[in-house]
Amino acid sequence: MPRIATSALKPGMVLATEVLSRDGRVLFTAGAALEPWHVQVLRTLGVDAVEVTEPTARITLDHAAEYARSFFLYVNPDHPAMQALFEIAAERVLKRAEQGWVLPDLDTRQARSVEHLSDVFGPDQASAKEIVRHETELASFPDLYFRLKEMLDSPTSSARRIADLISGDVGLSAKLLRLVNSPIYAPVTPVDSVARAVTLVGTDELATLALGITAINYFKDIPAELIDMETFWRHSITCAVLAMLLAKRQGLPPERCFTAGLLHDVGRLLLFKKLPYASTEVMIHARENFLPLYEAERILLEFDHTDVSRALLAEWRFPEAMAGAISGHHDPMAAPDPRTASIQHLADIMANAVGIADGGMYAVPDLNPAAWDELVMQPTELHALMVSFDGQFERTLAAFL
Amino acid sequence: MTLFSSAITLRAATPISDAEFKDLRDFIYQRSGIWVDEKRKYLFENRFHKRLATLGLKSFDEYVKLLKFDPRAGEEMKTLWEIVTTNETSFFRDIKQLESFQKVILAEVLAEQRKKGRLELSIWSAGCSSGEEPYTLAMLIAESLGLELPKWKVSTTAVDLSPAMIAKAKEATYGDYAFKTTTEEQKKKYFIPAGAQWKVKPEIARMVGFQQMNLNDDAAVRRVPKSQIVFCRNVIIYFDDAMRTKVARAFYDNLLPGGYLLLGHSETLHKISTAFRPKFIPGAMAYRKE
Repeated sequence: MPRIATSALKPGMVLATEVLSRDGRVLFTAGAALEPWHVQVLRTLGVDAVEVTEPTARITLDHAAEYARSFFLYVNPDHPAMQALFEIAAERVLKRAEQGWVLPDLDTRQARSVEHLSDVFGPDQASAKEIVRHETELASFPDLYFRLKEMLDSPTSSARRIADLISGDVGLSAKLLRLVNSPIYAPVTPVDSVARAVTLVGTDELATLALGITAINYFKDIPAELIDMETFWRHSITCAVLAMLLAKRQGLPPERCFTAGLLHDVGRLLLFKKLPYASTEVMIHARENFLPLYEAERILLEFDHTDVSRALLAEWRFPEAMAGAISGHHDPMAAPDPRTASIQHLADIMANAVGIADGGMYAVPDLNPAAWDELVMQPTELHALMVSFDGQFERTLAAFL
Repeated sequence: MTLFSSAITLRAATPISDAEFKDLRDFIYQRSGIWVDEKRKYLFENRFHKRLATLGLKSFDEYVKLLKFDPRAGEEMKTLWEIVTTNETSFFRDIKQLESFQKVILAEVLAEQRKKGRLELSIWSAGCSSGEEPYTLAMLIAESLGLELPKWKVSTTAVDLSPAMIAKAKEATYGDYAFKTTTEEQKKKYFIPAGAQWKVKPEIARMVGFQQMNLNDDAAVRRVPKSQIVFCRNVIIYFDDAMRTKVARAFYDNLLPGGYLLLGHSETLHKISTAFRPKFIPGAMAYRKE
């Protein structure tokens, strides 16, 4: 706790300990924010120094805004939606800082050493298709996924059969039940069986969620030193919840948008697996040049994670509508269905903005103005959306961890 | 939705018009070969914002005029390169590539020189930033030559666009950040403590000479002594295809027959040059001039 000379005190500093007068009376209590008159009194009484709290604990909105701004350097600052997202990001940074979060400086935002990691492919050898082929030829994808997919595609599959299939996988059913009991569905009485979950959520909807969770589980063994997997899932689930809220507002199927959000960065998981060292170079390049990750991928690898997800999801025969939205999240207007891709696009940008206050380290991608127009929204709605988000996110996240 | 939302504004920087952006981009390209994509327009506004304010300029147009016509231009160029270029580097960065280079490429080149009875080695480090890369190369060479080192004439020409980086490289003194990919053993072997920092040992520093250079300046590039090895890591990613082709050609012309070009981890000559023979070494690609 710094002890500051009375002559150096500035208004706004906060007392860490109480200040006593010479006869032992409490003059000012700990926690008092100093105003000019406090300083005057201290001088008059001849108190030469006092203890104040660490300066980081007294962050102002301006500090928070400046911190948030360093992640918004790449975007169009004149777009009203970007302005709204900037406000949201700054407010969240301020809130976290008031709770004691110390804003990371540039050095702590740098990548750690990954010198021991080797890529599967050498330079000149890797393309999105090659990477996917290497993976799908080598590893077998869970059988449950294909059986779920078959039932989803079949007109004769019954709710009962789908419930039985899911119930057979303990881990999957536990996750689904936690999700169904979360504030997303907010059942009146707790749902304790997959059969009941099917009646609450709907057969196709539950199978879609199950499909997404199965696909995600496949990638649980990414090296931890490469990327903090909790941060990765936090971003994916943030995007999923936001996509679901946006979908509801648009009158689109929320489960599909949730699942697409959950998987929107699946291509990046495969990049981490096949090109760990190159992925680190991408992260370093993105940070030092203030670029969004996908831009850095395009520069260093000549393709990005959506090219990988496009090839991967085709190989998995993932439902096309969701696959299009996932692989279109950085170029939504070129996607087969621009509206669902625009939802993923906006949800991803919002998740990046929200992630700043969680220690996110990458530049927020720019908003495609046509995608924004496609969704016909007012910028103020983004603030309202965040209120719903905050009511649902933590328990949704808990369902997955 | 909160009290203070309206109090903060995302737009902080002076706007750059399309014409001004094009002017500045073309100026930078001509003087450095660095290509700035249109998508980085807002990034540019933000990166130059403080500089314009410091110089008391009201627009990017005034800034470009200063760079082109003002007597202060020479001085301003130094700051310009600090804003435009970034310098992520550290000692022994990409150790897998360096180890392969030492075991395969360097060993081959040294053996070739011994066979010719010419105990000379000349290296060009293009885009050397603050010096970590050329010093690392000198350390690897010292290790490979061992007791033979005093008999050899080793010279490295290390160049960078930024005068500030060259000045820092000449200081040869580094803080913790430069050592994040360095082992304690390497640090103790090649550095001497200098306060809270570390200084490259003189027998290593002696092998490296630094100078400021624009790789788009043909005459300057031609003056670099002929080399057996060229290192150019994480530089060509900042160039467009025309400039990449041009520097690949310059490296080719500079290399002696049997010499090698090494690029950064994710960089390739794919689509740029077919003059070299690619040689795959574990963890990296080397390009040989036949």
